[in-house]
Amino acid sequence: MTAVTLSDRNSGRRGDSFLSVQNLHVSFQTEDGVVKAVDGLSFEVEKGTTLGIVGESGSGKSVTNLAILGLHNPDHTEIDGEVWFEDQELIGASRTALENLRGNRIAMIFQDPLTSLSPYHTVGRQISEVYRKHKGASRQEARGRAIEMLERVGIPNAKTRVDDYPHHFSGGMRQRVMIAMALVCDPALLIADEPTTALDVTVQAQVLDLLKDLQQQTGTSIILITHDLGVIARTAHNVLVMYAGRAAERGTVRDILRSPRHPYTWGLLSSVPRLGSSVDVPLTAIRGTPPSLLDPPPGCPFHPRCDYVEQAKPELCLHERPDLSPETGHGDACYLTLKHKQEIFAQIKERP
Amino acid sequence: MLRFLTRRTLGAAVILLIIAAVTFFLFFAVPADPARLACGKVCPPETLAQARHNLGMDQPIFVQFVTWLGGIFVGRDYEGLGHCPAPCLGYSFVNHAPVFATIVDRMPVTISLTIGSAIIFLVFGVGTGIIAALNQGKPLDKIASVSSLIGASVQIYFVGTLAMYFLVYQWQVIERPQYVPFTDDPLQWAYGLLLPWIVLAIIFTANYTRMTRSTMVEQMSEDYVRTARAKGMSSRAVILRFALRGTITPIVTIFGIDVASLIGGAIITETTFSLQGIGRLSIQAVLNSDLPMLMATVLLAAAAIVVFNVIVDALYAVIDPRVRLS
Amino acid sequence: MSARTRSALAVLAIGSLALTAACSKGNAGGPATSSAPTASKTNLTELFAPAKITIGTADDSKGPSIPPEGVVKGGTVNMIDRDDYPHFDPARVYDNVTSNFHELITRQLTGYKRVAKGEYKVVGDLATDAGQVSDGGKTWTFTLKDGLKWQDGSPLTSGDVKWSIERLFAPYITEGPPYVQQWLTQEDYKKSYGGPYGGKQLDGVDTPDGKTVVFHFKSPHADANYALAMTGYGIVPKAKDTKEKYDKEPFSSGPYIIAKHTVDKSMDLERNPNWDPASDPLRGAYPDKWHLEFGFQALAVTDRFVADSGDDKKTFSFYSHVAAERTQAVVENAALQSRLLKQPSPYGDYYYFNLDRVKDIKIRQAINYAWPTRQIQQISGGPVSTVVNSTILNPSVSGWQDYDVFGLKQHPEGDIAKAKELLAQSSNPKPTIVYGFNDTPTEQRITVAIKNQLAKAGITVVAKPMNTKTWYDSTSKVDNGLDMYWGGWGADWPTAATVFPVIFGPVHDGGYNQSHLNDPAVKAEIARIQTLPNVDEANKAWGELDKKIMETITPLVPALNDVGLQLHGSLVGGAETDPISWVVSPNTIFVKQ
Repeated sequence: MTAVTLSDRNSGRRGDSFLSVQNLHVSFQTEDGVVKAVDGLSFEVEKGTTLGIVGESGSGKSVTNLAILGLHNPDHTEIDGEVWFEDQELIGASRTALENLRGNRIAMIFQDPLTSLSPYHTVGRQISEVYRKHKGASRQEARGRAIEMLERVGIPNAKTRVDDYPHHFSGGMRQRVMIAMALVCDPALLIADEPTTALDVTVQAQVLDLLKDLQQQTGTSIILITHDLGVIARTAHNVLVMYAGRAAERGTVRDILRSPRHPYTWGLLSSVPRLGSSVDVPLTAIRGTPPSLLDPPPGCPFHPRCDYVEQAKPELCLHERPDLSPETGHGDACYLTLKHKQEIFAQIKERP
Repeated sequence: MLRFLTRRTLGAAVILLIIAAVTFFLFFAVPADPARLACGKVCPPETLAQARHNLGMDQPIFVQFVTWLGGIFVGRDYEGLGHCPAPCLGYSFVNHAPVFATIVDRMPVTISLTIGSAIIFLVFGVGTGIIAALNQGKPLDKIASVSSLIGASVQIYFVGTLAMYFLVYQWQVIERPQYVPFTDDPLQWAYGLLLPWIVLAIIFTANYTRMTRSTMVEQMSEDYVRTARAKGMSSRAVILRFALRGTITPIVTIFGIDVASLIGGAIITETTFSLQGIGRLSIQAVLNSDLPMLMATVLLAAAAIVVFNVIVDALYAVIDPRVRLS
Repeated sequence: MSARTRSALAVLAIGSLALTAACSKGNAGGPATSSAPTASKTNLTELFAPAKITIGTADDSKGPSIPPEGVVKGGTVNMIDRDDYPHFDPARVYDNVTSNFHELITRQLTGYKRVAKGEYKVVGDLATDAGQVSDGGKTWTFTLKDGLKWQDGSPLTSGDVKWSIERLFAPYITEGPPYVQQWLTQEDYKKSYGGPYGGKQLDGVDTPDGKTVVFHFKSPHADANYALAMTGYGIVPKAKDTKEKYDKEPFSSGPYIIAKHTVDKSMDLERNPNWDPASDPLRGAYPDKWHLEFGFQALAVTDRFVADSGDDKKTFSFYSHVAAERTQAVVENAALQSRLLKQPSPYGDYYYFNLDRVKDIKIRQAINYAWPTRQIQQISGGPVSTVVNSTILNPSVSGWQDYDVFGLKQHPEGDIAKAKELLAQSSNPKPTIVYGFNDTPTEQRITVAIKNQLAKAGITVVAKPMNTKTWYDSTSKVDNGLDMYWGGWGADWPTAATVFPVIFGPVHDGGYNQSHLNDPAVKAEIARIQTLPNVDEANKAWGELDKKIMETITPLVPALNDVGLQLHGSLVGGAETDPISWVVSPNTIFVKQ
């Protein structure tokens, strides 16, 4: 199964993929200059699967997904590239077209369910208004649907709790409400932006399991944005590792966790405690800090933090942007040879 | 809710009682003698003593206070003037009319002034604030910001006097402001108060524009507003149902204070436009050392603030379900 | 402010004395003109000419009044001012503004009849003449005119007059003037009689028949007919006297009836059908209706008269002066001059010495010589707003004689050399003066000018700012800790009989003898003049005493005299600032068509 395939720049969107992002550029005007938050990113999502996007804060994960939905601030944001969703080009789509998609075909849930839910409205209203807007349902129908959704996400006494306000719910329950709200219109794609980061560890697992269950029931595709490889290991089918607004590595969850190829991915894996059986590396942090997106380094954006520049091709690492290679399947953007990568990762694994 | 209201009403009564007592006793600390004013220019001692007795000022201060207080609840009898029914706030030292009747008589002017200008500055202030917020950084926003800055920095006696001078006297585009009771002629009522409303609103609008704009900008970047947009809500629904909702709380707060202080008397406005409302009454009471009138106006202003505080608090609960009344 | 307001409001009738034209021109006009670069000489001379007041005859006392030039009857005139009137019971009226209003509804035994501009006669109002005096000035007899009626048509009798005097003794009346009551009984008159409501009558006022009233005073009072012209001695109908309530429901004997009154807002007057112009020598009562509105500050009033639009053309103001911030513009606007009234105040304004503390007359005179009159005038708005005065009596008071002992008019910039000379002869050539001043912006600037000026003569001024609101109460304390302070006084009628006996009278806390002058010779002279049976003789003696006090005691430095500026609408005729009451009298007002 090749859920994530290499993009083909010449053909625009790829034939059978369901969401296809091609050469996406997103930059913000700020007082200090132009921030290139996303810089030539391409990826695809297949129906019914989960794509995990992983990376440090500021790597462009969230920006990418806000851009897909057109939720960026148009006054300060420059956006370029193509986003195809079910035969529709989303970049440059009309406001109403996007409004009709949002919450309906593509839904989104956010990191902090407390601040992401309106404190002024009952959860029932917040859920049902989405349904009414997109399905033209009556108030009564929408309320019934809201109760049904609350039951589906495992909220006890949904019939009475539908009239409660978000602050009446615990953190995990709130995120369930968010999920209920996101799925009320049976969206084809759910974008979950750090959905468990703000939750307790035990609650995290419950919410992830819930997402998984719901995906099995409805066949919704999910883009799961996280900085937590543990979450990726638990839920994702495919993984996109992002660094400085670009893809660093892409592959199936097995590819990325078992035989990672990019030095940044190695760094990420090394900094995660107890990944269980999939990998066994000592815990070390990646040295240095993420690059400034105002003035990104030339060449490979990771090179200032990379320990293997000498082993690769320094003149390339320092001066030329690496692209994902190979173009399909498990690919990475690094000038080390595949052999080198395998040797180095083997050494890292065995490092005491 | 009932418990909340009961508790707040009791609290308000205590506050008003304290204010009444402080005003009353402070009045006697100032060496201006109302009895001296009620006695002729050439005032023999016996006549002065008589004037003091007639005003009830020959009693110990504490007795006077209790008498005054009692009058509010059960009324009191005045020698020669007859019974002053409850709520009796006393007789004015200066115009010898029952204070309560005078206050009731002046209230409509001040309330009319308040209602009209409040509607104008609320609508315009919040409106321009929203427009500015939605056009952040664009010319419209800058125009709104600059005009609100100008509005905030001018003073009523300046704008008011200027408006009177040019609009009324020089160019005669509008008639001299005057108060016509609403019940007599609603159109004349509005026309007569239009200029004071607008001038008063100019001063206040600025505050609301700035407050609405900054809160709105803040609200627009709130997570739940983003959620609303992510749900596919139209931008109008996002602004009206979500962003504006969060902006209401701080607006209600200052609106409550502003309306309360206006009801307490817009002294400068009423003076500038020669309107006979509570503001004029209070400043005259101060200048004339008219204790009963002074007490009444001070208490009215205090009561307005206390009452509007309770109203604002109650409104919080309606606006924001996170605020529980207990 | 308290002292000024109090005196300004509390003054009822102020007059000025009969001076010959030559005297007023030669003495009064000249010096003021010399310090007035912006105004023409003729203007100021005319402005400063004191009004002429004489006692009128029985013929003068007959109605109707002398109409002003171009008079038109009928129409509605509007009046705007800041404040409504505090009292409608005449017995409770003392101030000039309320008294002026009462001309419309209240009549007295006597009154001031305008004969020509600046010329007045004391005549009988309800009485047939200005009173017949006998018994060396102790007995005054008044006869009521025929056919006098109240607003309901009932006859106005001598019984009403007696009743009106008796009720002044009742406990509830404290606000009015005390003079006639004191003359009839004693100084603390409330002790001697408690008013007529208990059924007791007052000794001293007889009514031999329905038209005759006889007053028996304890001592001679040559100016009783001036006193009885005060509104405080206005007549109240015995049959309609509702005691305290009468203050809200007055009964008219004058040309108008209050048709509608909304307290502090407006008042409408309509004609009193039972008032007969033939019986009234004072009141023209030309407009059919009066509409009075209150609540307008000086600025609003000024701007309305300047704009002169619509109904404001038929509008005037009893007492509102041109607002200070508009004075310059109004004075320089040629188009307004025909509607601008100018009149110096009838009050006395003084910088008192505290004679208990500044004991050396040489020092007091040195300060008079050095006084920076011109600088103070400039700070106070210049010659447009003030005139220099060098006497204790206001020029409007009958018997006023001009003098300039210390050269306030000749050397308005101050004579430092002369001051130094006097100080050198004094007990302390380098004295320190504690000067208390009312802490307002203008007074602060004046104080600096005084301080700098006196420093040149070697006098150290310690300036003590004092709270405006408690100013009067502080300075009128006997032990006030001050050497100098401003004070004011207005005569109750235009003779010195209500000036010197007050400002050089009893010394007590809250009293008006603020210099604490207590000189046996002065006291004796005051007592002597008070008993003179002839009013002209008395007035002459007051004028001489003025100069003598200034020369031999020097208890004060005379302050500047404010000039009142008033505007009115262009269709209002007969508007004049009355030199006695310093407000626009309603008696001559008419509406042009």
